[in-house]
Amino acid sequence: MSENKILLNSVPADEIKEAIENIENTVTSRINATPDNADHGLAQLVLTLIELIRKLVEKQAIRRVEGGSLTEDEIERLGETLMKLENKMEELKKIFNLTDEDLNLNLGPLGDLM
Amino acid sequence: MEKIIYAIIANAGKTEQVNDYVTNIRGITGSNLYALHFNEISVAVSDFQSSKFIISKELAIDFARVIEELSQQLTVLPIRFGTVVKSDEIVKQLLTDNYNAFRENLLKVENKHEFGLKVIWDYDKCSEKIRSKVESEEINAGKYFSKSTINTNYLLEKLKKHRLEDAVLKHVELLIEEISRFLAQINPDCKFKKMLSQNIILDGVFLVEKNMKSEFIEAIEALKQQHDDLHFLLTGPWPPYSFVEIQIDK
Repeated sequence: MSENKILLNSVPADEIKEAIENIENTVTSRINATPDNADHGLAQLVLTLIELIRKLVEKQAIRRVEGGSLTEDEIERLGETLMKLENKMEELKKIFNLTDEDLNLNLGPLGDLM
Repeated sequence: MEKIIYAIIANAGKTEQVNDYVTNIRGITGSNLYALHFNEISVAVSDFQSSKFIISKELAIDFARVIEELSQQLTVLPIRFGTVVKSDEIVKQLLTDNYNAFRENLLKVENKHEFGLKVIWDYDKCSEKIRSKVESEEINAGKYFSKSTINTNYLLEKLKKHRLEDAVLKHVELLIEEISRFLAQINPDCKFKKMLSQNIILDGVFLVEKNMKSEFIEAIEALKQQHDDLHFLLTGPWPPYSFVEIQIDK
């Protein structure tokens, strides 16, 4: 962007630098599968989708708790299931050496996936 | 020879003037830019051999430079980078088939500039403030859980997190509402994306009358003064990239 296109800027320089780096990293932050790391790339893709679905399920479950439509037993089972799912995800992330950031794809103009 | 299309132009019947202006601008890869006309619209094109060039960032930036130069004197609808057709005849056919849609869009952007506005906050700092507010409204655990177990405690923590996320989103929505209300005095067309990332709470584009440019900048400046915790990045003027809405009839 040419300098004269910036009409007003109160963003600290380090945040601009970070934002530029984020844009430049957008391509590399996408699923990056090559013949050498196909299993890792595939694991990242699969875990990204699982994490997205897990978070959606979690949101829906919390809404149901708030809605007060669940029995005591159902709440117990829901809590246990969600906790186990989260623990399992943590295990899988460790196995494939992935971080939360790795599972939050930057979708360019659409923003971050999660 | 293939043709790359840069922009649709309103010619107001002055095709000679459009010709003169367009031919003085250099196309991408050093090509000669020229205009084709149909009634009151024109189109800027140049020769392009797609097999000879690799689409690159540099080429895209040069393409944007051409559109930028065109928009300095003419009302234009930017065309997506990489729109290549086989001949002038096909370009003319495109103009004829979509004449009304092009005219309508050109009228919409006539005498207007596009501006981009990003509003950024420090998520950790701002959400912490919201968190203390949310946490002060104590959740009555007994309302949701009749006993305290490891499972219900886990759900309670999730419930708190969920409340915080909702509160952050609500806070952002109120901010965007306030910004929109404030800018309504300039009466721009606008498009928003909210929470593009944790830190970019608003990514907006505005179509503003050319003669309202100073007022628009002043309004953003005033907003900045009112919100110490928000950072503003205003850019422009740009060709109306975000306000062209045409479904091309092929």
